[in-house]
Amino acid sequence: MTTPADTGPAPAIDLRGLRQTFPTRAGEVVAVDHLDLRVGAGEVVALLGPNGAGKTTTLDVVLGLTRPTAGTAHVLGLPPRQAVQEGRVSAVLQTGGLLADLTVGETLRYVAATYPCPPGRVAEVVELAGLGDLVRRRVSRCSGGEQQRLRFALALLPDPELLVLDEPTAGMDVAARRAFWATMHEEARRGRTVVFATHYLEEADAFAERIVLVARGRVVADGPTGEVRARALGRVVSAVVPDVAAAARRLDGLGEVSTDGGRLRVRTGDADAVARALLTELDGHDLEVVGGSLEDAFLALTADPPADLTTDPTGPAVLQEETR
Amino acid sequence: MTTMLRLELLRLLRDPVTVFFTALLPAFFYVVFGAAQDFGEVRVGNGDVAMSVMIAMAAYGAVSATIGIGGAAAVERSQGWGRQLGLTPLEDRTHVTVKVVLAVLVACVPITLVYAIGALTGAEGSLLAWALSAVVLVLGAAVFSLYGLCFGLAFRSEAAVAGAGGSVVVLGFLGNIFFPLSGVLLEVARWTPLYGYASLARFPLTEGTLYAADGTVSSEALWVPLVNVAGWWAVLALVATWLVRRGRARP
Repeated sequence: MTTPADTGPAPAIDLRGLRQTFPTRAGEVVAVDHLDLRVGAGEVVALLGPNGAGKTTTLDVVLGLTRPTAGTAHVLGLPPRQAVQEGRVSAVLQTGGLLADLTVGETLRYVAATYPCPPGRVAEVVELAGLGDLVRRRVSRCSGGEQQRLRFALALLPDPELLVLDEPTAGMDVAARRAFWATMHEEARRGRTVVFATHYLEEADAFAERIVLVARGRVVADGPTGEVRARALGRVVSAVVPDVAAAARRLDGLGEVSTDGGRLRVRTGDADAVARALLTELDGHDLEVVGGSLEDAFLALTADPPADLTTDPTGPAVLQEETR
Repeated sequence: MTTMLRLELLRLLRDPVTVFFTALLPAFFYVVFGAAQDFGEVRVGNGDVAMSVMIAMAAYGAVSATIGIGGAAAVERSQGWGRQLGLTPLEDRTHVTVKVVLAVLVACVPITLVYAIGALTGAEGSLLAWALSAVVLVLGAAVFSLYGLCFGLAFRSEAAVAGAGGSVVVLGFLGNIFFPLSGVLLEVARWTPLYGYASLARFPLTEGTLYAADGTVSSEALWVPLVNVAGWWAVLALVATWLVRRGRARP
């Protein structure tokens, strides 16, 4: 079998046709439904989606914590569990997962004992995660943000090539969140591949180079952050026009038209065409073009009935109605 | 593995309530029910009643300790620590080994304390009885970490583990540990999990002789406690395996 992995360095993450179902009392629940995802080495990717979209399940497969019902998963060209065993992938998981009765330093030594870590590694990650003052503090007495920094330090212990973060700033206040992302930017600059799941839109927007929007267990949008925003999410073009009704009829095919007094608003994927029409044909003035917020796109793409954004790694993301 | 074991021991020492109940309560029971009683001098097998009570209380202490550890291990795994460890090269069986060694080490605390007080207060038995009963207590205690594990896996809460600890008192009565049973109750008790363990530990002393509270004397073959221990070990192992599988199947 020929795969791209044969010709170049293996992608950090390669998921194909991933499907994950769980039996429940109410019947089978499909958490992930034929999900394809490739993340190249050195990328910083946000997995964005509402709660229950399948983000955590997908990351569990990447981390070898769950075996997929169907499909294949490779991490750095290896089966996920092997990549974990070799210390090449590591993760910061959602809340929970620490022993309250150990100190920060003891927790680090406990987890370090599972790796063939060089002796000075614990001191190094304490420095990297800014835990210097907390080493002797009990985990139970650490704030949510401090515990999260500890999880981050644990994830750095094996010096992984791929760092997976599942809702990494949950429970942090604004200052802690900002500090956390500053540290993470630093890690990304050092060449680590970073994949993080979040439902904070602004976080995906501010930190990721690429956004993969997940809803109902499927990828509904995938592209560079700016492109997803600009093309898929649309812009709002508005102008004051003399004949609002006529202008609304003219622009109806180009987007979603609404009026606000004498001002006409068009939410559109083709802002250029709308602006041209407004200025040349419709005698508009006071033109405004506002980028669609990620929030709007998020709600539009994850709503029922959903819109679908096909995935095309070479071209721009395209918004289209779901055909299935 | 030694780092993990050392840190796990440290965690236990930080919980004074647990330390008290596992180490001091059985010793206290022995002093009250064994050493301080007039019947302590009565002969049993190759020793005396005080020795028999001593073994029983050590069994109670050892089982309480291992059930607590097994249960806590299950609960902390289900509350996310298991996921954290799943991100490391640590294998399940290494983790289980650490916990079993920990359970056996901790079980040694009440056993040692009760046996030390027994020796000081003049409990009598053959040297072989002292040695063999201690070995049975230590090894058998490991089986009961499975009992705690089952409770923790089934209910996933610390309250359930506390409940498992509380059930030890009931099982202790049925296991002929606190009070010598006879008649129908003894027939029922033979099927309960602590009965085989306690009887087996006392066998080197009593050589199979049973003394009821009303003074009647009967005897019991070695295979009865052996079958009980083997049977319960198999049942607990099966249930634990099934619960672990069920736990994996969930999101």
